Amino acid sequence: MRFNDNKNFARDIHSLVNPIAAIAPDKPVSEVAELFLNPDYAKVLSLPVVENGIPIGVISRYRFMDLYLKQYARELHGRRPIRNYINHRPLLVELDQPLTEAALHIAEHMSFPLTEDFIITRHGKYLGLGFVMDLLKAMESQMRANTNELNQAYSQLKSSQMALVQSEKMASLGQMVAGIAHEINTPLGYVQNNVAVGQELFIHIQNLIAGYESLVDNLLDEQADEAEISAQMEQIAAMRLDFNAEEMLGDMQGLMVDSLYGIGQISELVMNLKNFSRMDAAATEAINLNDCIESALNIGRNVLKDKVEIIKELTELPKLTCTPSQLNQVFLNLFTNAAQAMETMGRLHICSWYDEQAVHVSVSDNGKGIPQENLVRIFDPFFTTKPIGEGTGLGLAISHQIIQQHGGEIRVESRLGVGTDFHISLPFAAGNVAQSAQPSIH
Amino acid sequence: MSKPTLLLIDDEERILRSLRMLFMTNYTVRMTTDPQEALRILREEKVHVIISDQRMPVMQGSALLALARETSPATMRILLTGYSDLEASIASVNEGEVFRYLMKPWSADEVRQVVAEATAIAQASYAVQSHAPAVTEDKKPRVLIMDDDEAVSKTVCEILGDRCEVIWANTAQHAMEELARQDISVVVSDLMLGDTNVGYILKTIKQLNPQTQCIVVTNFNDTSRLIDLINQAQISRYLPKPLNKSSLARNLDSMLARFHALRSQPVLANRQAVAQISDPKEKLQSGNFMGMLGRLRARIGV
Repeated sequence: MRFNDNKNFARDIHSLVNPIAAIAPDKPVSEVAELFLNPDYAKVLSLPVVENGIPIGVISRYRFMDLYLKQYARELHGRRPIRNYINHRPLLVELDQPLTEAALHIAEHMSFPLTEDFIITRHGKYLGLGFVMDLLKAMESQMRANTNELNQAYSQLKSSQMALVQSEKMASLGQMVAGIAHEINTPLGYVQNNVAVGQELFIHIQNLIAGYESLVDNLLDEQADEAEISAQMEQIAAMRLDFNAEEMLGDMQGLMVDSLYGIGQISELVMNLKNFSRMDAAATEAINLNDCIESALNIGRNVLKDKVEIIKELTELPKLTCTPSQLNQVFLNLFTNAAQAMETMGRLHICSWYDEQAVHVSVSDNGKGIPQENLVRIFDPFFTTKPIGEGTGLGLAISHQIIQQHGGEIRVESRLGVGTDFHISLPFAAGNVAQSAQPSIH
Repeated sequence: MSKPTLLLIDDEERILRSLRMLFMTNYTVRMTTDPQEALRILREEKVHVIISDQRMPVMQGSALLALARETSPATMRILLTGYSDLEASIASVNEGEVFRYLMKPWSADEVRQVVAEATAIAQASYAVQSHAPAVTEDKKPRVLIMDDDEAVSKTVCEILGDRCEVIWANTAQHAMEELARQDISVVVSDLMLGDTNVGYILKTIKQLNPQTQCIVVTNFNDTSRLIDLINQAQISRYLPKPLNKSSLARNLDSMLARFHALRSQPVLANRQAVAQISDPKEKLQSGNFMGMLGRLRARIGV
């Protein structure tokens, strides 16, 4: 906590101590009267009475006047010790007591009208007087500081929440891109190698053809030397032994087919990425929701392929106006969550259908299920059961938000050991289709 | 003379066909998509080099290579993968004990060169494998701890007792001086000493003294740096911090045993021959370290 912002602010009881000299219980009343007249004590409401360092009471100006203004009071009481007139139950506060606790104690025991100051002690011994007004001021500035801190914390929270929403997007994007990049590496690996191999084969074939051509030239040349021709023929025979052109070319033919296939794979992956991000498409569009499902499946294939068998029952759907890039994100989130819930190879059942009002999609897995206490918090921001650093706890919160912005609904049911079903419905007549609105958490 | 044998395993047949074409002129190429089939070939045939993919449906490449290590210890093991995940690379060190961790897409020249190198080493391994004379040690093995935290050194002392001399270095300078003085059997090192990244020290030591076994203990997780350490420092183990004492003890024992075995058959130390340092800054640091070693060794007459 920082309190330095306000210089007048009292940190603790220490700053409230006024080292007013205490009076002895045997001091005659007349001498006390003089003390009250002393301008140094003008602010003081009461004087502390201390015996052997221990405060035994206070005498307030109010009480003193009440006594001393009566007729013959000076004569009657003047020489008597003040002990007989004091309040024996003064308000006591220990020096190391927290400010709020002290304030509470004083508020509870204070008498009205306010006629007495409180006594500050250290280990029970008198230290000085405290003024209630000072205490009030201290409390007030503490409250102001608290409010400032709360405001600051609130704005920090707001900005870090925005950063988190962004980081969740980046995290799922990063995971996705890494997956796709890796998937591209395999076809890229053999295509690149095939080209390198082909290049070397080319040089072999070139040499072979050069050999044949010079042989043919010599054979056609009537003046050619017989010995040279037979040397050439031997050379070509050796080359043929070393390098079976026909077989190599046959193999290379196969590698060309493979390469074209690999390039096709790479193009498909790039196309999937483009479809998923829809960077080149309008934010809001009338589309078939099955396309979003397929797009998310393509992108998530890398995570899904070894973990789940995918069963699709997709009904041909009418078009729905929505923000496809956001719905892609929702589906990818549901699919990858399901894959992560699988301890062994599992099943992911994806169905789509529609009625008069809405399009429905259900995503069911046969994973380990979600316990009831987690199920109720599943759409809460920052709720995650993953280890620290592995999940932001925002995936489903953002999904929930996206579906709400589409005027739709997302529900979850789960049974431990049986599996989890998510059900999404998106109405045809959505009041406010999310424009390019960024999802944010409320 | 018969051609050396190269065994390829990948779940994508196109990778197999492509690599076969690259190697068929100089090698007998055996290939399969089935890890069990690969193990059968390893049992029945003399295989010089095995190249395996990491991610396969039935078995991970690192696990297959771990089995290959038992089935055919002389075979050199190479991992060729499109996925650079940390778990796989740690497993390929600790279980697979791979000679190289190569990435897809690969350079044809580089793979050819690595396979040629591995083949030569495998041939040498097959030649000496049959006899292993016992070595009587004349002095205690020395174990060097390179770590900011003295606790690591204390743990190693507790594990080894008076079987070994344990030296603790908490600066790169001190570590380099110890390494110059004499042969260290086992180095247990974090990747950072103070502000210094000590990767270059491990890489240089392995170039000069391939018998020395490096155990990296760290809480630092950077896959690409780990892959560099596999290829360029041939680290023997990669153990995460906080350290598990029994796992450290087990690994120290097996690394001390390996050091002794390599002392008796130095040709086998080539199995951990390292690739050249690729990072220019580390190359420079390594050069300086080598220069310093030369001067120090000349002075103390090692």
